[in-house]
Amino acid sequence: MKMGVLAEVFGNMFAKPMTVRFPKEAIPIPDGYRGEHEFNIDLCISCGLCSKICPNRAIDMVEAPEEYREKYPKRYPRIDLGKCCFCALCQDICPKGAIKMTKNVFLSTFDPKSVIKEPIK
Amino acid sequence: MINVFERLNDGKYTIYFGPAHPGSGNFGVKLEVDGECVISARADPGFLHRGFEKLMEYRIPIQNAVLSDRICILESLAWNLVHAEAVDELMGIDVPERARYIRVVLAELSRIQSHLIWFGVISAGTGFDTGFKIAFGLRDYILDIFEMVTGGRVYPAGYICPGGVRRDFPRGAKERIMRVISKICVDEDTTVLEKLENKVLKDRLEGVGVLSAREAIKLGATGPVLRGSGIKADVRRDDPYEVYECFEFEIPTMNEGDAYARYCVGIEEIKESAKIVRQALKMMPDGDYIAPQFRKPKLHVKIPEGEVYVRNEVARGEGCVYMVSDGGDKPYRVKIRGPSFLHMIPVLEHLLCGAEIADVPAIYWSLNVCPADMDR
Repeated sequence: MKMGVLAEVFGNMFAKPMTVRFPKEAIPIPDGYRGEHEFNIDLCISCGLCSKICPNRAIDMVEAPEEYREKYPKRYPRIDLGKCCFCALCQDICPKGAIKMTKNVFLSTFDPKSVIKEPIK
Repeated sequence: MINVFERLNDGKYTIYFGPAHPGSGNFGVKLEVDGECVISARADPGFLHRGFEKLMEYRIPIQNAVLSDRICILESLAWNLVHAEAVDELMGIDVPERARYIRVVLAELSRIQSHLIWFGVISAGTGFDTGFKIAFGLRDYILDIFEMVTGGRVYPAGYICPGGVRRDFPRGAKERIMRVISKICVDEDTTVLEKLENKVLKDRLEGVGVLSAREAIKLGATGPVLRGSGIKADVRRDDPYEVYECFEFEIPTMNEGDAYARYCVGIEEIKESAKIVRQALKMMPDGDYIAPQFRKPKLHVKIPEGEVYVRNEVARGEGCVYMVSDGGDKPYRVKIRGPSFLHMIPVLEHLLCGAEIADVPAIYWSLNVCPADMDR
C-alpha cells in the first residue's frame, strides 16, 4: 500500500484548520458579492427597468406610503427577497445606480413579511 | 410446506436505490435482485424536473443566461458557456478575445471542481471518507475563486453571458487561481488526489461495471465515460470552440472500460484542465471583456431568425443546446442535450445488470452523473 493517504492524514493533523470559528471570526466576503440589495430612493427615476428585467419577477413597482407621497410621487421598486435569485441584473440595468447589491448574506428569518423590502421603510 | 416456502421465497425481490438514498441524488433505480446479484435495473427519473426548455421560451437571452446556471448545479459555468455560445452564434456577435480566454479559464476551473466532486462521491460511495473530505475541501478553494470573480459561490448568475462575460477579472484573480491550481496539482504530473489512492479504493472499483467501447457508442456515452472505454473523443479537440485550438493538452483515455478506468480518466483530466488554465492565464490578452452593445443588459434585443446547434465538452460529457428563433426577442424553442441523460438511463441500466448490490454505488458514481442535468 502506498503511504500517500497516511502522509496526507498526518500532514492534516498538524495543518491549520480550513474552517474558522464562525461567530467570532468569518471568512471575508470579496467585493462584488451579490448579497442583499440596497435601494437609494433619491437616485431612482422610476423607469421600471429593474422590474422588467428581473427573471423571477421579484420586483414590483409600488407607490410610496401616504406620508411620503408628496416628496416621492412616482412608483418605486419593492423587492421580494423570497423570490430573488440574486443575479444582480437589476443592479446592472439601473441607469442611475439606485439599486446596489451589498455583501449582506445574513437573510434568514422567521418572519415572512421581513423578506419584502419596501422602497421606504 | 417446505415446497410452498421455497416457491414463495425464491430469493428474488425488488429494492430501490434512491431517491431517498444518501448516495443517489434526486434519482432512483429500481433493482430486481436475486440474492446479492442484480438481475435487471430500471431507472426512475423525474424528481428534479424544472422545465427549463419551456421556461427559456418565455425569457430574453440575458435572463436565460441566469437560468442556465441551474441546468447542472455542479458545473454551472460550463452550462452558462453552452447557452452563451448558442446565442452568440445565432446573433452573430463578435466576442472579444479577452472574454474568450476568461470563459475558457472559468469553464476549465468548473471542470476541475466538478471532477473533485466526482472523486469525492466515488470515495464516499466506496466508504473512503478521507478522500471525500479532502476533495470537498479542495473544491472550496475553487468556489472561493468563483465568489471573487462572479460574485456567487455556486451560481454565477449568468456570468458567462451572450457577448462575453458580465464583469472583468478582478485584480489579483490570476495569482489566486495559480495558487489554487498549485494546491490541487502539486506539480505537472501529480495531483493531491493521486496521493490518496489506496488498495481498498482500487479493489472496489477495478473490474466493476465494465463498459466495452462498442456498447459505449451504442448506448450514447460521451465524455469521460466514453474515454474510459478507450475511445479518444473530445469536443474541445474534435470541434474546437472558443480558443481551445490555441492550447496544448492531451486527451486521456483508458482501455479497460471499468469503474477504475473512468476514475483514472477523471484524475488525468484534472491535470489537463490545470494545464489549460495555466496556459490561458499566461496568454490572456488585455482588452474588452464584453461586446460593447451588451455592456449594459438590454430588454427587447431581437434575435435574428434562424436555428443553431452548439456542442461543448462539459465535465460530464457532451453538453449541447439547440436554439431556434423566429425573429422575436425570446427564443422560439430551446432543446438542451445533457450528457447525464444517456449515462443515467441506458448506460446505467446496462451496467447494473449482473452486478452485485454492493457495487451499485461504485458503478453509479463512476459514471459522473448529475440528476439535475438529466431531468432539466
